[in-house]
Amino acid sequence: MTSIGFIINPYAGMGGAVGLKGTDNSIKEAISLGAEPQSATKALRFLSGLKEKDIHFFTVNGEMGENVLRKTNLSYTIVYHSEKNNLDPIIKTSAADTKKACLEIMKAHVDLLIFCGGDGTAKDVFSCTGNAVPILGIPTGVKIFSGVFATTPESAVHILSQWNGNNLIDGEVLDVDEEEYRNGNLKTTLFGIAKIPYVKGLCQCSKQVSFGDEADNMEGIANFIIEIMQDDTLYLLGAGTTTKKIADTLNISKTLLGIDAIYQKKLLKSDLNEKEILTLLNYYDKVKIIISPIGAQGFILGRGNQQISRDVIKKIGINSLIVIASESKLQNTKSLFIDTGDPDLNSSFSDSILVISNYKMGIRKKLIH
Amino acid sequence: MDTKIILDENELPKKWYNIQADLKTPLEPPMHPQTKKPLCSADLEPIFPKELIKQEMSQERYIDIPSEIRDILTLWRPSPLFRAHRLEKLLKTPAKIFYKYEGVSPPGSHKPNTAIAQAYYNMKEGIERIATETGAGQWGSSLAFATQLFDMECKVYMVRGSYDQKPYRKMMMQTWGASCVPSPSPDTNAGRTILEKNPDTPGSLGIAISEAVEDAATHSNTNYSLGSVLNHVCLHQTIIGLETQKQLEMVDETADVVIASAGGGSNCAGICFPFIKDKIDGKNPDIEILAVEPSACPSLTKGLYAYDFGDVAGLTPLLKMFTLGHDFIPPSIHAGGLRYHGMAPLISKLHADNLISSTSVYQNEVFEAAVMFARSEGIIPAPESAHAIRAVIDKAIECKKSGESKTIIFNNSGHGHFDLSSYEAYFSGSLVDYEYPADLIAESLKNLPIVA
Repeated sequence: MTSIGFIINPYAGMGGAVGLKGTDNSIKEAISLGAEPQSATKALRFLSGLKEKDIHFFTVNGEMGENVLRKTNLSYTIVYHSEKNNLDPIIKTSAADTKKACLEIMKAHVDLLIFCGGDGTAKDVFSCTGNAVPILGIPTGVKIFSGVFATTPESAVHILSQWNGNNLIDGEVLDVDEEEYRNGNLKTTLFGIAKIPYVKGLCQCSKQVSFGDEADNMEGIANFIIEIMQDDTLYLLGAGTTTKKIADTLNISKTLLGIDAIYQKKLLKSDLNEKEILTLLNYYDKVKIIISPIGAQGFILGRGNQQISRDVIKKIGINSLIVIASESKLQNTKSLFIDTGDPDLNSSFSDSILVISNYKMGIRKKLIH
Repeated sequence: MDTKIILDENELPKKWYNIQADLKTPLEPPMHPQTKKPLCSADLEPIFPKELIKQEMSQERYIDIPSEIRDILTLWRPSPLFRAHRLEKLLKTPAKIFYKYEGVSPPGSHKPNTAIAQAYYNMKEGIERIATETGAGQWGSSLAFATQLFDMECKVYMVRGSYDQKPYRKMMMQTWGASCVPSPSPDTNAGRTILEKNPDTPGSLGIAISEAVEDAATHSNTNYSLGSVLNHVCLHQTIIGLETQKQLEMVDETADVVIASAGGGSNCAGICFPFIKDKIDGKNPDIEILAVEPSACPSLTKGLYAYDFGDVAGLTPLLKMFTLGHDFIPPSIHAGGLRYHGMAPLISKLHADNLISSTSVYQNEVFEAAVMFARSEGIIPAPESAHAIRAVIDKAIECKKSGESKTIIFNNSGHGHFDLSSYEAYFSGSLVDYEYPADLIAESLKNLPIVA
């Protein structure tokens, strides 16, 4: 029997339909503009696709899960009652409910927590689960930049039916600045790195050409990067577990979400901000930045790692970037993105980029800027 | 002009061409893996028949093809030379494109050209069993076909990635009476050692060679046979280029560019060496010879020219060749036959002497070319052969831009009927464009101390 936590953010996606670019702080406005609920329909598409009888859901009453589950033959237990806590006649549930529900669901020791929402919901869910429970998002929100979402409700069905319960990869949870986004600016910070279920590609043939598993890939990448490290070069290691694996292999304690400086295979400074990086660059002639793509869209620069700013890139040169990512991580990312905030600098990048994906091996990916 | 240019059976070449006779400087000798001294014939006798060792070291320009071998070769040879009218039309190129088609052999590739010869010489010297490796399965099935013609046993170590991808190749080998196991296998020390370290390895040609060499060295009735890399293999394949030259003469054409894919180098040697002779002799001094490699394993394009082992375990002699390092295990690209860390010493030497140029291409662009070819010319090419097709198309497009009417020849070394899962992967968008990170590796090597 597989135990799955299931939470719907009933207001996710409503803002998008009426041009609000998000619903986080403007649900009433969205409803007054005539926005219709999006999440329940997509949640039902997901649940209706499940053929697996041996699943039990732990969920929330009413719009946050129960109403949709009731329309299926799937078994479920309600572990949290949202509407009891909310007296507002229009907005019956809140982000606080999502968090409280997560905590109750975790008490049921679920194997996986599935949520329907957008980046805001992902952040709320991850803030409770951390890495204690793997999570998977069904995209129903306006903003889907975090790397924890299935592409469609149907692909979530596929993932769930094929997942062996153990195979996990990293998915970045991004914090998108809602106000900036409404003004047309995408400003994100890396909030955390969740564990998500990993299933190899849909087609038989792609299975046949896979090159080792995630752990092998990460080890291969770390060994290769360490092998090519030079003593006269300063290395700035970006966020994520792929870069952290390099530090771990060197027995260096690295921050998971920050930029750390390594020189002669020793930690020089942790969790650097842009100013500190620029200061450091005054003292070192040779610098390489080792980073991993972030989020569902595969951002290399400009999202989630703002410390590596336009000025930093200009100072060290675009050829000093070494991009790393495991093959499984790259599998669902057709292209990678760069947005330094400087169109001229963006256009100086080539149309493709080599991503180191294993020991002495890379994958050429299309680069959009 | 006709589409097919066909030679009569009695025009089958009677001699192979040995390019060693025409090298500016002699080929650097292979070295003994332990003593690091040049090999002598006796070193090779435990695994090779004397006649092949003689051919390996021969400086004779032409070597007779025994009538028994020629008799078997007539089952499919001389192979046709096609004018790719429809591909030219599709590309709207003024270039004239010709391709030699080796997919007409029973196993479906150029490999039996040497398999027949090797089985024959082993049989003549009383060998009862041959052990070998295979990448994509073309060589293994060719040797299975050849050994059964001489009532010999055959054991094939097939790179596991290909073994899983191409079950029908394994069945072909069984049909021709050979035993085929995935490599690394538990049957050899080399295989067991690698399996202990990495039970899920997709294997590589280098690993499979280690296993086959060990098998031959540990069975008294068994010799080893290699489908590429070695001089005698390149020699046997020259029948391709020799026929092509006769066929071009029949239609009064002179090659401007000769293109072949290159993994270990045998098909490249086969089509190119007779044309390189024309370049060396001054008969066709401006001819361009181009070897095409996968970007995942670009030994000639990005490797170092140095002595290295031919296999992963370091059992083979050290060969002077372009190499990515014998411990380099290429990813499981679909052109399994091109997954080799090194390159034939003869091709390497000619590349170092600037007589062969090289380029590398990505998987997706290779299959794009393969599909264009299949849709215009009809033949579905093997992924290995499609590397050459990619370069041919690029060259023909260059001609279109420059208005030049070059005559481009390439070796379509085999059909892709057992590679349809690769085509499926291409159509589904799941092919990965692997690339050897040559610049990063070179940068790190730059700072190595120079040892006198």
